[in-house]
Amino acid sequence: MYDRIFAAIMLALSGWIIWTAAHFYVPFQYEPLGPKAFPIIIAAVLIAASLWLLVRPSANKWHPGGRVLIHLLVATVLLVFYALVYVPLGFIASTFIVGFAFSLLFGEKLLSAGIYSLALSIVGFYLMKTALELNVPTGTLFGG
Amino acid sequence: MEVLSALGHGFSVAFLPLNLALVLAGCFIGTLIGSLPGIGPINGVAILLPLAYSIGLEPSSAIILLAGVYYGAEYGGRISSILLNVPGDAGAVMTTLDGHPMAKRGEGSKALAISAISSFVGSLGALIMMVIFAPMLSDLATDFGPSEYVMLMVFAFTCLSTMVGSRPIKTLIGALIGLLLATVGVDSGSGVLRFTLGIPNFYDGVDFLVVVIGLFAISEILVLVEQWAKNDLKTTPVGERFFHWADLFSSRWSHALLGMVKFIISLPPVSLVKLLHLKWVVLRSTVTGFIIGVLPGTGASIASAVAYGTEKRMAREDGEKFGSGDERGLAAPEAANNASAVGALVPMLTLGIPGSGTTAILLGALLMFNITPGPLLFEEQPDIVWGLIASMFVGNIVLLLLNLPMINIFVRLLSIRQSYLTPIIIMLTFIGIYSIHGSAFDLIAMIVLGIFGYLLRKLGFSLAPVILGLVLGEIFEENLRRALSASAGDWSILLNGPITYVLLIISLLVAFGPLISRVVRRKK
Repeated sequence: MYDRIFAAIMLALSGWIIWTAAHFYVPFQYEPLGPKAFPIIIAAVLIAASLWLLVRPSANKWHPGGRVLIHLLVATVLLVFYALVYVPLGFIASTFIVGFAFSLLFGEKLLSAGIYSLALSIVGFYLMKTALELNVPTGTLFGG
Repeated sequence: MEVLSALGHGFSVAFLPLNLALVLAGCFIGTLIGSLPGIGPINGVAILLPLAYSIGLEPSSAIILLAGVYYGAEYGGRISSILLNVPGDAGAVMTTLDGHPMAKRGEGSKALAISAISSFVGSLGALIMMVIFAPMLSDLATDFGPSEYVMLMVFAFTCLSTMVGSRPIKTLIGALIGLLLATVGVDSGSGVLRFTLGIPNFYDGVDFLVVVIGLFAISEILVLVEQWAKNDLKTTPVGERFFHWADLFSSRWSHALLGMVKFIISLPPVSLVKLLHLKWVVLRSTVTGFIIGVLPGTGASIASAVAYGTEKRMAREDGEKFGSGDERGLAAPEAANNASAVGALVPMLTLGIPGSGTTAILLGALLMFNITPGPLLFEEQPDIVWGLIASMFVGNIVLLLLNLPMINIFVRLLSIRQSYLTPIIIMLTFIGIYSIHGSAFDLIAMIVLGIFGYLLRKLGFSLAPVILGLVLGEIFEENLRRALSASAGDWSILLNGPITYVLLIISLLVAFGPLISRVVRRKK
């Protein structure tokens, strides 16, 4: 079933690609193929392959239960949250919060998760910023 | 002799203090990553790539470090396979078959020693073959024009589709997705913006690192979360599979581990003489592994499976012992997967076509440094090619030392909790991606790709073809367009010489061979 849905999405995607590519506005072109041909050829092959998958999908082996879906949702929200607050809150605060939450998600106790993520965020910051001289945000909220 | 002087030059690069330190670091990190359950070579290289890029290493140094992580992880993958029955990645699955039964019998230390030495011989043998054959292939390829390259791509994708994953059609779709991702951004030939959705961040194309980290590392995190959630409900089915994540998180696990560590300490080291009877097994598997590694698109997992199967058949009646802790069944896949890891570098360096998913990432790394691997690389960038090859000789000796006397350190690391490990992985992916452009948009794009990669994995697609498509897409299109502009649009130019015909015929054989043999067998 999931295979069929996926194949249908791929079909729509390749259709969109062909339509978009065919409408590229190309003001000048020095060679016979130009920017349109390659995406169109690949998308055409993708259409053929997706049709095949649509007709003959594999048996579905993936049955995520409610608990799994909730965990996945929480993890995804945490990741997006991390990405959103990474710059404003800065590395240390955001890594502490997200590290703490992920530790808990994986069944760690409150106290040890807190100590661990605090150590991780502080050690990580100085290791990456000072030792490796990477671009690690200090946090715009803290004037960084 | 020319080769020897080139290799000598390579050693002068590899022995620079910085590079020597990077080999050591790479091998150590690689073994560490390989031995942690769930993080294979491909994730390790993916996570470290942006870091290596951002700290401003020279290209030759960066590739030495990343390659160290790559083959180090192939070594490290066996530790969790043998002791816990949990392969770090697909290439280590065969190692569990005989390695774990040996460990259960209390021969864990012996199994680790045998596999370390087989890995070492496999890598070393493959390196020697690489030194001999890579320059030859490179010479042959200097005559390649655009048509030959197009046919070579066709060959690479055919090999990939028929040999990787359970369903060829899914591998093909994965590769096509990668090829289409490669077309996003401004078209170098005409300046036209393609599929950017009007987002300025995509004008330069989808960033390679964002795709790699998203598809591999972020999807891995989601997989870990799923496994964890499942285990709490005890819904993991028992039996049939090679390994069970349930074992990984249960309390019995630490008990079993402790017992094994005790065993390892108490057992005397295996004397080398006792391993001599395995020499032919190891040498055969090395050659098999190397050849399979060189074939485009086929990597360690296939090499180790073929070597294991070959040895099992060659052992005849004795083959029944395979699977219950036979030393040959352990030595063969280990020698083969390390040999194939080295072999996979050969087409990447000489033709610019990676032999496996991880080498596709290494190729992407070189492209990021504005270095295009291909036949000219051997002449134009001897520091990179020969420095890398020489560093791998050094690295393998380092790995042998890390894996024999210091094995206990890595064994202890196996017991690190998932609740500690996951935050580290997440932290490293964010630091790596943010440090490239300092853009929060990249972080979001990475997560979106991660969710996409997770869904692909759950639907039985493997991700390596996507990456292969992505790194090869631009070269593929460029060569196709160059060939056709030389012929003024005549497609027959793609078959303009003997090499193109040979490649076409082999591609057809690879594509339809399995089908034909099935039909023939059915008629009998």
